Amino acid sequence: MKSAYKVLAVVLILSGLSCKKELYKDPIGLLTPDQINTDPTLNTVRSSVTSSYQMLANTLNLLGEWRWDLGIVFRNDIILQDMASDDVKKKWNPDGDQAWMDDVSTFNFTSSNQAFNGQWSYDYEGISRSNLAISYLTDPAITSKIGIDDALKNRLLAEVYFLRAFYYFDLVNNFGDVALLTKPLQSFADAYSAAKRESKDKVWAQISADLALAKPLLPNTRYSDNTEKWRVSKGAVVAMQAKVALYNQKWQEVVTAVTELEGLGFALNANYFDNFSVTKEFNENEVIFAYDHKTGMTPRNGNGLSAPLDWGFIAPTTSFLNEFEPNDPRLSYTVDVSKKAVYKLLGATNIVYKGNDDAPGNKLYIRMADALLWKAEAYNEIGNFPLAIALINKVRERARTGITIDSSMVPAGTLPDRNVGSTDKAQIKSWLMHERRVELGFESQRFNDLKRWKIAKEVLMAVGKNFKDFNYYYPIPQGEIDKSGGTISQNTGY
Amino acid sequence: MNAMKKVLVSLLSLLCCSLQIIAQQRTITGTVTNSQDGSPVAAASVTAIGEKASVITGSDGSFSLNVSPNAKQLQVSYIGLETLTVDISSTSVVTISLAPASGSLQDVVVVGYSTQKRTTITGAVSSVNMKDLDQRRVADVAQSLQGQVAGVQVSQSTGAPGDQINIRIRGEGTIGNNSPLFIIDGIPSRDISFLSPADIQSMTVLKDASAASIYGSRASAGVIVITTKSGRKGKTNVDINYFNGIQKVTNLPKMLNASQYMSKVEEAWKNSGYTGTNPYTSDKGRSDLANTDWLNELFEPGHSQNLQVTASGGTDKVQYLLSAGYYKQDGIVIYNNDGYERFNFRTNINASITDRLTIGTNLQFSSAEQDKLSSKGDAPGVIRHALIRPPIIPVYKNTSDPTYSERDPFTDLPFYKKPWDNSKNIYEFSSNPVALAHFTNDKRSNLKTFGNIYAEYAFLRNKELRFKTNLGVDLNLTHNKAFNPNFGDDDGGGSGVDRGLGRKNRPNGLDENRGQETTITWNNTLNYSKSFNKHVISALAGSEFITNRSSSIGASRQRFEFTQENFQYIDFGGTANLYNGGSAAEWALFSLFGSATYMYDTKYMVTANFRGDASSRFAQNNQWGYFPSVSVGWKIYNEKFMQDISWLSDLKFRASTGKLGNQEIDNYAFLTLLRKSGDQFLISRYGNPDLKWESTTQHNVGLDIGVLRNKVYLSVDYFEKKTSDILLPISLPSLVGNVSPTIINAGEVTNKGIEIALNLSNNNRLFNYSVNANVATVINRVQNLHPNLPSIIGDVSKTEVGHPLNSYFGYVMEGIYQNRAEITRHLSGTTNPPNKPGDIRFKDINGDGMINDKDRDYIGNSIPKLSYGLNLSGGYKGFDLSVLFQGVDGVNRYNGAKQITDYDSRPFNHSERVLNSWNGEGSSNSIPRATFNDNGSSKRSSIFVEDASYLRLKNLEIGYSLNSFSAIPKLGIQNIRLYVSAQNLFTSTNYTGLDPESTDIVDQGTYPQSQAFLFGINVKL
Repeated sequence: MKSAYKVLAVVLILSGLSCKKELYKDPIGLLTPDQINTDPTLNTVRSSVTSSYQMLANTLNLLGEWRWDLGIVFRNDIILQDMASDDVKKKWNPDGDQAWMDDVSTFNFTSSNQAFNGQWSYDYEGISRSNLAISYLTDPAITSKIGIDDALKNRLLAEVYFLRAFYYFDLVNNFGDVALLTKPLQSFADAYSAAKRESKDKVWAQISADLALAKPLLPNTRYSDNTEKWRVSKGAVVAMQAKVALYNQKWQEVVTAVTELEGLGFALNANYFDNFSVTKEFNENEVIFAYDHKTGMTPRNGNGLSAPLDWGFIAPTTSFLNEFEPNDPRLSYTVDVSKKAVYKLLGATNIVYKGNDDAPGNKLYIRMADALLWKAEAYNEIGNFPLAIALINKVRERARTGITIDSSMVPAGTLPDRNVGSTDKAQIKSWLMHERRVELGFESQRFNDLKRWKIAKEVLMAVGKNFKDFNYYYPIPQGEIDKSGGTISQNTGY
Repeated sequence: MNAMKKVLVSLLSLLCCSLQIIAQQRTITGTVTNSQDGSPVAAASVTAIGEKASVITGSDGSFSLNVSPNAKQLQVSYIGLETLTVDISSTSVVTISLAPASGSLQDVVVVGYSTQKRTTITGAVSSVNMKDLDQRRVADVAQSLQGQVAGVQVSQSTGAPGDQINIRIRGEGTIGNNSPLFIIDGIPSRDISFLSPADIQSMTVLKDASAASIYGSRASAGVIVITTKSGRKGKTNVDINYFNGIQKVTNLPKMLNASQYMSKVEEAWKNSGYTGTNPYTSDKGRSDLANTDWLNELFEPGHSQNLQVTASGGTDKVQYLLSAGYYKQDGIVIYNNDGYERFNFRTNINASITDRLTIGTNLQFSSAEQDKLSSKGDAPGVIRHALIRPPIIPVYKNTSDPTYSERDPFTDLPFYKKPWDNSKNIYEFSSNPVALAHFTNDKRSNLKTFGNIYAEYAFLRNKELRFKTNLGVDLNLTHNKAFNPNFGDDDGGGSGVDRGLGRKNRPNGLDENRGQETTITWNNTLNYSKSFNKHVISALAGSEFITNRSSSIGASRQRFEFTQENFQYIDFGGTANLYNGGSAAEWALFSLFGSATYMYDTKYMVTANFRGDASSRFAQNNQWGYFPSVSVGWKIYNEKFMQDISWLSDLKFRASTGKLGNQEIDNYAFLTLLRKSGDQFLISRYGNPDLKWESTTQHNVGLDIGVLRNKVYLSVDYFEKKTSDILLPISLPSLVGNVSPTIINAGEVTNKGIEIALNLSNNNRLFNYSVNANVATVINRVQNLHPNLPSIIGDVSKTEVGHPLNSYFGYVMEGIYQNRAEITRHLSGTTNPPNKPGDIRFKDINGDGMINDKDRDYIGNSIPKLSYGLNLSGGYKGFDLSVLFQGVDGVNRYNGAKQITDYDSRPFNHSERVLNSWNGEGSSNSIPRATFNDNGSSKRSSIFVEDASYLRLKNLEIGYSLNSFSAIPKLGIQNIRLYVSAQNLFTSTNYTGLDPESTDIVDQGTYPQSQAFLFGINVKL
């Protein structure tokens, strides 16, 4: 008996030791990149492209849940471009809610302000997703394994090249020199070798290169895909090339590119609000690139900006309201002061979507009126004044001839044509500046325009903001400098 | 602190009264033995109750005592053994068997995989006094530990029934998980909420490295070893305990009433620089203004009850204990949607198959269900909304209101009228907290089987070598089900079919998920002990294998057409926006360990432990971690030169050092992982293949002093704990995309402190008492972080080298701007400062004439520097009394609720303190002006950081035992004890939030702890 127990004890101890193999089992319920890379599917590759669009969305909480402290509840274009300018203030009634937005608006921010972290995070997440998609689509082993046809592959590749360029465009405008990542990381240690800023020129070169790669891969049609019209089209690529040229004062290139756009079938809509109306989406002539929001999707793909709009956020400044000429119908379409409603952002000329954090209205990025005014600006800069004025008048004409918000006629004499005979470059430029401000209000163009025109300081000081010369670039988010261990440097002045 | 002193002094003087005892005639003889081994107890004190007569037993345990003819009871006591009262009304020869008392010197203390005599222990080990703990009358074992042991800090972040309780042993060692490891009958667990306090025989807290290192990889936050009760041979005992009590809320802030609120918002409007007519002035005359005290509406008396029945007994061969318990509590928030209910059943059996082979089991089944109410925070924040909701809104709509319905009679949006236009609303559109409480329907249930079976065999002639195999199972089935009904007013939002619905839970929906988690533990140990001459040797070797697997599945649907309870199942939901999900994970741990103790002449002792652990949480090359420790003890008292000091009864010096580990991180953190979002695969985290154990080195020195036959016993310990290679989640630069932080080994945190435990006891007299006081200090410092993580910045806190973990960090309030000139002078570097007189003036730390992020500083400490507890108990005749005071000192709390109740610039309701707000030059230098502009209150600043030290009378219990009535034994009843108990009877604190015990970094208004009054009865058969 006793020895039997001894044997049993030894057996138990030894079998205990054999349990060790449990330690080396493969993980369950998780995926590693290797599994995707060795066994890709068409669907994973397609969805990698779709996901690259997402960081352009106004959907709330894409990168966390209500992280106001990180500035990532929604994409911060409206803060960095509109509130920072003289067009938009934080709320209809000033208060202490989300005071960091006020700090951006008054230029009393520091590099720790989460607005910068938010924008930086959205753009680089977009770049990271684009890089992953590009790495799949440019790997012959993967593309042959999933059996993707060339037409689809080319189109998808063009989309992500465009998107990467788009995100970098935003970064270089906001922050100047930025880190340039064009490949997915292999390990976490790569994060630190990538964490260094490259010169603006290199970033601009990368943007141009990506757009140049994208352009020939897309069909010469209004939409690149007739069922999913939200996808990047050749028009979007050409428009982006025009914008890049504009921001680098390459005026002739602007003219050429916008002319090419007109050839692709883009034109002004008869009615101004057709650009913004939910009912007209992908059924009008003017919108070149927008993020397609849809309501009631899983996971969510709705426009969430309607929620903060309901909480009293995003309101026009007096200066903006005063900019409009008498009876300009665009004012009522942009904002209704009595109802505290920004119709342009709500996607309807009523408040049905106000408060709906899953609204269907698209987020507009590029439309033809914007592009035509680039061309006008370029003509003016190269001294072709009549053509410049003609384009400005074209935009004014559409504004006064379309229906107004209450379906009435605009009084005679509203928005008269500018004098086509003018040869005063400064005067034409001031017309252009005015026209851009009223045409494109709340569309996140104003602050970039002020910077481009080098009048940011003069204009913003005049409305009592603390703008200083170094504010032409925003600070690199302080957290990013810390997280890199200092290999990322700060912009001058901060 | 002062209050505590007073109470202490008066109680002590009460205890020191002496008594008259009268002598009589009659002889009682008998013997006293130790129930553990049957050995005679020499020098035990035998006293006839109610009389002077008293005698000491001889070396064979026998005694003879003369008593009066009507003497009914003898009381027998001996240091280290339970005092026992026996009936002598019908006999004059008695045999008395005394059981070991818990928490005393002779006690056998359960340590790692073995037991040790208290007197020979060399590490920092504290036994919990189970008698004190018995009288806490709380549902959770963790809760009952509060204030009991020096260096063990227990806190409840909310008072909601069933909410989590935090235990910290010797401070916050790491940035991640600081919860101790529990060992229940040899089986490790991270949770003890399922245990019934009544089932626990002993609890030992292993605080230092030498005590805990036998649990190696998971012991760095300390270990609490729990043994459940088992039966004893002899007569069957039945113990029935029932209590029933009520709870009520205390310490509520005084909020503004309707007219004060209207004046306040009127003033705020006036101060905001608006033009036109003040809309609040005209609204003051409205006839539909209510005067609601929302806090009063929200809270109601709560109710709790508990029934525990235990039967135990056994023969020489088999001993058993069976117990069943039921606990139910309905919390203090209105409606029964904040409750907790638990059933537990336990079977503990030990059987001696032969004189060498023992087998046994300790098995518990429990079922717990929590009605989860949002007990803290902002969303939906039932408590928070009761603070901010304007008093002018009634609780219920008028039945004539067209939007009134029987199902949803509650008000929602202020003065709601359809169609709603929020731009015209001038009041805060908070939620109705009473409606939130009413519509809360979130049940979290857990079915648990926890226990072990074991076999132990003794080898060698003197049974010196024992082999034990112990197999444990921990099986959890969780089920969470939340039905969120639609309610509230239609604010015009919602899309498609949801238009026209109320704004809350639009559309309605059901979330349900089920999880299963199984942990199997198997340990095998060989234990050898031998004593010869003056040498005592014991050794232990063993292996342990733990495997865990968990999986869960969940689903949700929305738009239920029928919302009655019998339709609250997934099938009845709409098919649009349905969701389902599932996942699984597993981990395993394999360990080898050994321990050896040597003692010479009961004077010098040394213990060495070693454990090696391999964890699946690390890559193969880093799987093994090794955790050695050594400790020495010198029992000075047993030295010859000490023999002359008669008042001294014990003196021992202890010292230890060793290393402990921590592996509490996510599974597979060393791998780069993808997550799936919709159809997309996204990188969720970059892995760190070099990840390894976090380790804690701890040094401890201690001194135990016993005086007057150990009636006074003092233990003092000093420790230094250094945690390095901290498992630190480090955020990569965002330029790599949105990924979860990678976990690396970096950083170092130290904790140093002193712990003092003092016990006074006197069991020998009719009037017995004991005092158990403990106090502990801890100084926490971050010594090192990673170069890429110079600081960890939270919303209001910052963790940085040279400061304690999670120190409060923000702007420093200097006062209130009194006039325009002061602003211009102070903000000389700011263009057009928006500030106005009456706004908060912050310190311009860098002196650049601007107030921005660079002007922030450390403004408080979130970890208590001092914690203490004081247990007093005493008994006289049938009466007994026990009192527990508990408190912390040297801690701050960020009172986020104050941000909204006192200084917010939205039309919230405010506390009465704002009646003194700034209102013209010189009117206040502490409370800013009432305004809808930013008066500075939006900044995270020192104005919200308060001293959260407190002293609380946690528990007071008075009991009366009926066993002196002769009728009781005749009924076959050993004893009936009736008691009343009060909890949180009194709190002394300067903290203005709802509860100073809240441990959240930001206290946003938590479910407060309540005052409770309980009545109970305990019957022993």
